[in-house]
Amino acid sequence: MIWVPLLLSAAHLVSFSLWTIWISFTPSTLVPVSGWVGLRNYTAVIASRNWQIAFDNLLLFGSAFVLLSLVTGFMLAILLDQRIRGENVLRSIFLYPLAVSFVVTGTVWSWLLNPGIGIEKLVHDLGWTSFRFDWLVDRDMAIWTIVIAAIWQSSGFAMALFLAGLRSVDADIIKAAQIDGAGPFRMYGRVILPTLWPITITVVVVQLQFAISAFDLVRALTNGGPGIATQLPALVVYDLMFQRGLLGRGAAAAVLMLLILLAVLLPYAAWRYVQQRRATHA
Amino acid sequence: MPITTTRRRLLAGSAATLALPAFARAQSAVKPRLTVISQWSAGSDGAAITALGKKFEEKGGVWQHSPVPGFTTEMMNKLRAQIIAGDPPACSQLKGPEIAAWSKIAPTVNLDALVAAAGYEKVVAPDLARLHKPGGKWISLPLQIYSTNMLFLSKRAMDKAKADKIPVTWADFNDLAEKMKAGGMAYPIANGGTRPDDGQKFEASFAGISPAAYRAAIMNLDEKTLKGPEIKAAFAQVRKIADWMDPNVGAQPYATNLKRFVDGDMGMMIQGGWAQGVLRNAGFKFDDFIIAPGPSDNTKPVFLLNADAFIFWQRSEPDLQAGQTLMAQLVMDPAIQTMYSQITGSIPVRTDVDLSGAGWSDGQRRTASALKDAVANNQTVLSLAHNMAQENGLTAAMIDVITEYVKNKTIKPEQAVTRLAEAVEGAR
Repeated sequence: MIWVPLLLSAAHLVSFSLWTIWISFTPSTLVPVSGWVGLRNYTAVIASRNWQIAFDNLLLFGSAFVLLSLVTGFMLAILLDQRIRGENVLRSIFLYPLAVSFVVTGTVWSWLLNPGIGIEKLVHDLGWTSFRFDWLVDRDMAIWTIVIAAIWQSSGFAMALFLAGLRSVDADIIKAAQIDGAGPFRMYGRVILPTLWPITITVVVVQLQFAISAFDLVRALTNGGPGIATQLPALVVYDLMFQRGLLGRGAAAAVLMLLILLAVLLPYAAWRYVQQRRATHA
Repeated sequence: MPITTTRRRLLAGSAATLALPAFARAQSAVKPRLTVISQWSAGSDGAAITALGKKFEEKGGVWQHSPVPGFTTEMMNKLRAQIIAGDPPACSQLKGPEIAAWSKIAPTVNLDALVAAAGYEKVVAPDLARLHKPGGKWISLPLQIYSTNMLFLSKRAMDKAKADKIPVTWADFNDLAEKMKAGGMAYPIANGGTRPDDGQKFEASFAGISPAAYRAAIMNLDEKTLKGPEIKAAFAQVRKIADWMDPNVGAQPYATNLKRFVDGDMGMMIQGGWAQGVLRNAGFKFDDFIIAPGPSDNTKPVFLLNADAFIFWQRSEPDLQAGQTLMAQLVMDPAIQTMYSQITGSIPVRTDVDLSGAGWSDGQRRTASALKDAVANNQTVLSLAHNMAQENGLTAAMIDVITEYVKNKTIKPEQAVTRLAEAVEGAR
């Protein structure tokens, strides 16, 4: 009977998406109203400085976060895969941040990164007074503090998937490669990595959809500041809908977010489709 | 025919005789009940509304308060949900131009008769009265007033800088800040990093330079004044203030720096009257600081108004209607306003309340006399940063420009002027 909840959630998802799309074409402000304003809400959102900054930030944050968490997760997985002692403990430690809510992560990192009370102050108190680490309040670097906190939070997730992948590599292939005299670099580069492609793609897609919908982390860490330097699309949607009382424009921004998400998910779906066809024809 | 008349009279008379006691019984049986939503749950705000609820119960009412902690936004979401569901609260907190905006989406109660009976209109500042009767009818009642441009001076910092004069104009203020800086204070201005905090620096600067230009540009969105010399001077003043602020606060509230302010590591603070309550709650003494009206270049106090208010939503239940009447009477009562302001650190809406007695601080007395002076000189204006001057959409668009300007010192004042005018155009 799995299809009953499935159908319900699908209907829920589709109806709310359709409703949001409809609202984005109406002149709704404080409460939803009917009417038709064409693309006016969209042009207003796209022309606003807030959205432009948010979109640029999304490109930077999305690519940096996905790439770096992928690399960090993969390195951690390789290190853990060396049959070391205390692997279970280390694995829990690396996975632990995932169990913490993003609001907590954001708050803790906002303390650590605050130059007046956090890492910079600690180093100053140790005697190195010229040390500077004020990214959180530097409007050009603040977006990187979000990248740091997000990587801390979710590279454990990438690690767990990669570790499972590494463990599932056929031992016979590795042995064969060893007999052929492959060193560790060639082994990972030529033999193991190619088998991890499906996992890599999965990690990228999961992390990307998180990056696009990121809200709680930014809200707790910088709240879009300093000034409006770390705006992200989800913050803009919330701000338009609830702070500014512009439901129509907020809905338009939300639909734009959905389009960005589709731009990620559709190629992924196409790739999966091609893979499956290949598998069945092989 | 006389018979019929008699019979009719008789019928009507007996019907009335029968109905009257029932009506009277219904009237006396109705126990006033009030459903209220507000954002006040903790601290002095929570204590004040709880005290108001107690008074309501003492008068025989049933007090049903649902606080929605957090920001006004969260409270408005609950209000929106209840209005869409057709079940608005009998009364809710709402302030500024949002009163006019929200009153269009659901019917409100006309309070004109109650306001007239209490003679309330005569004792409310005209700018404030206008906000609470959009369309000419009183539908909401202001409860307490804060000025957002009060100047807090740290006594220890004044001693360190060997200064004893309270600055009156922006030139005085800038001199004192320089003096403090020369005296070894790295950051003479105690500040926060939030949007309203940045907004307050701007509105205090602008209104202090020219209240008339502030009214034209910010409250009436006059295009010429929005690009005029006064607003450019205001942005230049904001830059000076920003250079004296600690940049490390990030997105934190101003209260983060209160201890450094009292200790004399920071000298001045531009804040609303509520900071008095926060300072007192944090255990600091009134001897630690001085509260004065914010700098004003024409030397007469400028009062940036911020007022909390209640709006009354139409309900058909007789007990809720009786509750609304009772609540309105309580809110306008000088004794209740005294009690409320003494808990929160605000000043009463009624300009006829005597603040000379015990229970009032010097800061509150100065605030009240600043309001009186400002009303007399037509120098009361509405706060932008605290959502009194414009609806949320316009306010947020303007604060975006201001907060970016405060944090990004490469933006020139004239650029900021252009951006602000563009933001207004885009949000209009």
